[in-house]
Amino acid sequence: MNSSASQTYLKTRVNIFATQLFTDDRILELLDMSLEELSGTFGLTGIIESSLAPQQLNHALEQSLLHSLMSDLSVLLRPLDGTSRVLLIYWSRKFALFNLKTLIRCKLNELSLEEVSSYLHHLPDIIRLPHEKLLQAENILEMLHLLEHGPYQSIARQARQVYEEKNEPFSLDAAIDRSYFQGMVKYSNSNSQIDREGLKELIGMLTDRQNLLWLLRYRFMYQLSSGETYYLLVPFGKTLDRNRLMELVNLDSFQSVLEKLPPKLRRIVSGTTNAMQARQRLDFSLSREMRRLIRFSPSPATRALAYLVARDTDLKRLNALLQGKLLGLDSELVHEALMPPALQEAA
Amino acid sequence: MFSTLPMKHLRIQLLTGDLPKASLILAELGVFAPDPRPILEAELPAIPGEDYRHFYTQARSRFDKIARHVAFNDTLDIKDVHAVSETDLQLTNDWLGEVWSDCSEFEEERHRLRDQLHAIDELEQTLDNFSNLNIDLGRLQQKSRFLEIHIGMVARTQVKQLEEAVGLAGYLLYRFLEREARTHVIIIGALDGESAELKSVLDTAGFRPLQVPEALHSEPEKAKTSLQEQQTDLQQRQQQLESRSAVWGTSIARHLSKAAQTLRQAAPYFQIQNAARNQGSLSAIQGWIPAREVANADARLRQKLHNPFVLESRNPTADERPIVPSFISRNRLLKPFSLLVKQYGIPRYGEVNPTLLFAISYILMFGMMFGDVGHGAMILLIGILARRKLGSFTLFAVTAGISSMVFGLLYGSIFGYEHVIHAIWIAPMSDPLYMLTMALIWGVGFLILITLINIINHLQQNDPSGALFGENGILSLLLYVGLLWGSFNVYQDGAFGVGAAIVSLSTLLALFAYKLMETEASPGERILVAAIETFETVTGYASNTLSFLRVAAFSLNHVALAVAVFTLAGMMEETGYWITVILGNLFILILEGLIVTIQVLRLEYYEGFSRFFAGDGKAFKPLTL
Repeated sequence: MNSSASQTYLKTRVNIFATQLFTDDRILELLDMSLEELSGTFGLTGIIESSLAPQQLNHALEQSLLHSLMSDLSVLLRPLDGTSRVLLIYWSRKFALFNLKTLIRCKLNELSLEEVSSYLHHLPDIIRLPHEKLLQAENILEMLHLLEHGPYQSIARQARQVYEEKNEPFSLDAAIDRSYFQGMVKYSNSNSQIDREGLKELIGMLTDRQNLLWLLRYRFMYQLSSGETYYLLVPFGKTLDRNRLMELVNLDSFQSVLEKLPPKLRRIVSGTTNAMQARQRLDFSLSREMRRLIRFSPSPATRALAYLVARDTDLKRLNALLQGKLLGLDSELVHEALMPPALQEAA
Repeated sequence: MFSTLPMKHLRIQLLTGDLPKASLILAELGVFAPDPRPILEAELPAIPGEDYRHFYTQARSRFDKIARHVAFNDTLDIKDVHAVSETDLQLTNDWLGEVWSDCSEFEEERHRLRDQLHAIDELEQTLDNFSNLNIDLGRLQQKSRFLEIHIGMVARTQVKQLEEAVGLAGYLLYRFLEREARTHVIIIGALDGESAELKSVLDTAGFRPLQVPEALHSEPEKAKTSLQEQQTDLQQRQQQLESRSAVWGTSIARHLSKAAQTLRQAAPYFQIQNAARNQGSLSAIQGWIPAREVANADARLRQKLHNPFVLESRNPTADERPIVPSFISRNRLLKPFSLLVKQYGIPRYGEVNPTLLFAISYILMFGMMFGDVGHGAMILLIGILARRKLGSFTLFAVTAGISSMVFGLLYGSIFGYEHVIHAIWIAPMSDPLYMLTMALIWGVGFLILITLINIINHLQQNDPSGALFGENGILSLLLYVGLLWGSFNVYQDGAFGVGAAIVSLSTLLALFAYKLMETEASPGERILVAAIETFETVTGYASNTLSFLRVAAFSLNHVALAVAVFTLAGMMEETGYWITVILGNLFILILEGLIVTIQVLRLEYYEGFSRFFAGDGKAFKPLTL
């Protein structure tokens, strides 16, 4: 396929895929469905009706939804080449990094691969970590050493240096997350002219969301100092630039941080009282922004990545809905979790 | 040699305690491939040896890591082969764990010493950088009542963010030297109780402090000498560490060889995995074995297992044929050709093994396309001289060289000279049409042989309709022969001939009818698909036959290239003439030699293998020691 044919193919593919993204009305419809209707609609009846233990059932559902996301990714990768392709693959590595963090915890708790496998995502070979080999390592440093030859080189090296200095899992997790986002920023900068602006905007939005959540969590849940919190952020967001972040980390209460946010972000998170609520609002807003990019961005790679981000958020919501129904949680509570009151009114 | 060996499905019922020993005996035989299908799941629900496999995996991983640092003897003592119990394996694993712990300490010490040496090197650079300024770095590092100062290095990409982060804690950061990926910085701030916050930020940023000698300003020479002494001391410690590591390596080498032996003996039971099942003390192992080896396996098990066992063997069922592994007789002479066949795929169980046909036809076609006594001799010579590097491919080069020499004699060609020796058969350029005709006849013969092999394969797989009607089946072959016959008649008499027409038309119609019945679609689509596929059969044979014209084309090309070289050489004086002839011959040898090698491989793969060889068989992977 030549370049323009590839771009047209990719845009068409994304448009077709985008029809399955959840609109606000669709979420309200899903909220009213029974567990049987939900599982029938999303082809999960086999898993729901299986006689799996609750923990295995959760994992099987999560895995099935992730599998559908990975299938979409593999289709979208076909017409892509160069750094756009690399960036999309890099984005999906977050699932492998989730596995890495799980493996690290298992190593700390001395669990075997059999015991840990129910917690791990099954991922395509292109991003999969060598789980067996990693668990054979005698300690965490050796595990990170093993990843220093390959696509996780930069993340593993930074994580190892931090672990050598601080020797505790929180800093290790933070270092892994931070390195991952720094990689995203790096790849968005090295893209082709047509994709660069769109991808920078998209990754800027993702970084803003993540920075705000990290800031709230590190400062007010873990009580880190302003300097350390700032160092753990990635100051390359779209609206939360260096100066704004430095101003925000110096504030000493959750509400004062919200008040000092740029107007657009402030509107999204106003009224929230903790990082969890803020995260819900930010995810909804991000989904809407992604849908806007899918429709209007001139860059096919941006549209593809925007679709994947929006789809990932949707699948997480669907998973939460299924879990809520399975556990027999109060429907009001599930409603609130998936569609906070402020957003319900807007819908 | 012409087909995969007949196989039997073997089931050995035995006591669970004998499983490691039985696995070892089967591995010694080297002809048993485990079958992991859960056939016996109902009777024997458990898979034994879970702990054994865990110990083996961990021990193997530890051993591999240690083996990268310690030299040891890895030859298996055949006289001392015995089954490894779980307890012994666990002990070996524990010992390897201790050894790896020691080995890691050596490694860590190596890293520490290297880092310290690196730090001194960085410090010397820092001191050189400050040598022209009247600044006492040593005093900067001394404890002060009012100021807190840190001198050190940080990753270059993180400096800006660190500068801003320490700024939030009330400190200032100055960069004074950039080296490779690191930047040297001074961080300075008021001593007001924010040290803990700063330390936390610096640790998170991977800040590496540089220790400046206190006497740097007052006695700079003494400080420099001190640094050099430290450097020498570290280098001595490095040497001592290497000596200690070598002594330690020697002290464990013997035990490590024993561990290697233990792991090799434990490997068969580990590899057998799901092919062994058990219920309490009763177990069974199942797998595939060449039919001719069953009696031998039985005898060896009887000889070495002291407890009773039951050995049953049966032929593969029709359903099992696709999963039966293909055991191809190993022949040292055919090894390089076998490797090239494997590049295409593995024959299915029962299929004709194409290796011998490939070897003969490849060597012949290479000679036909690159016939030259001199060039052949060069290939032969290179093959012999580079035999260590070429390994099993030496024979490939030697046979190709000899074939080239033989055809060189037949064509009367030596280093491109066509008149030095007399052609035993024909000089290609003397009658190109004859050469092309010969190539076509070779191609026709090759394709007919290949089609016959395909028919045999279908019959072997118990697929008579495929053998008769299928692509490259009997009807296709008759159609091909009919068309060739008709074409020959046209060439000889100007008419296709009734006999040829009857054969061609009847087979064409039969093929069309079969494809019509076989296709599942609407009537119109069915006719269209059948017509296209039948037409494709005809064009396929025609194009494949014409492909073989390249056999003659390359023999002519060889002469033409030589003529071009001699024409160029003829334009030079004597020295230039010989230089051009030598360089021209090298050019022909390397470039044309490579092209012919690839073209013959292409003919074999695409005109040959694709007609009869699916290549989707399962390789026979026996347990081995």
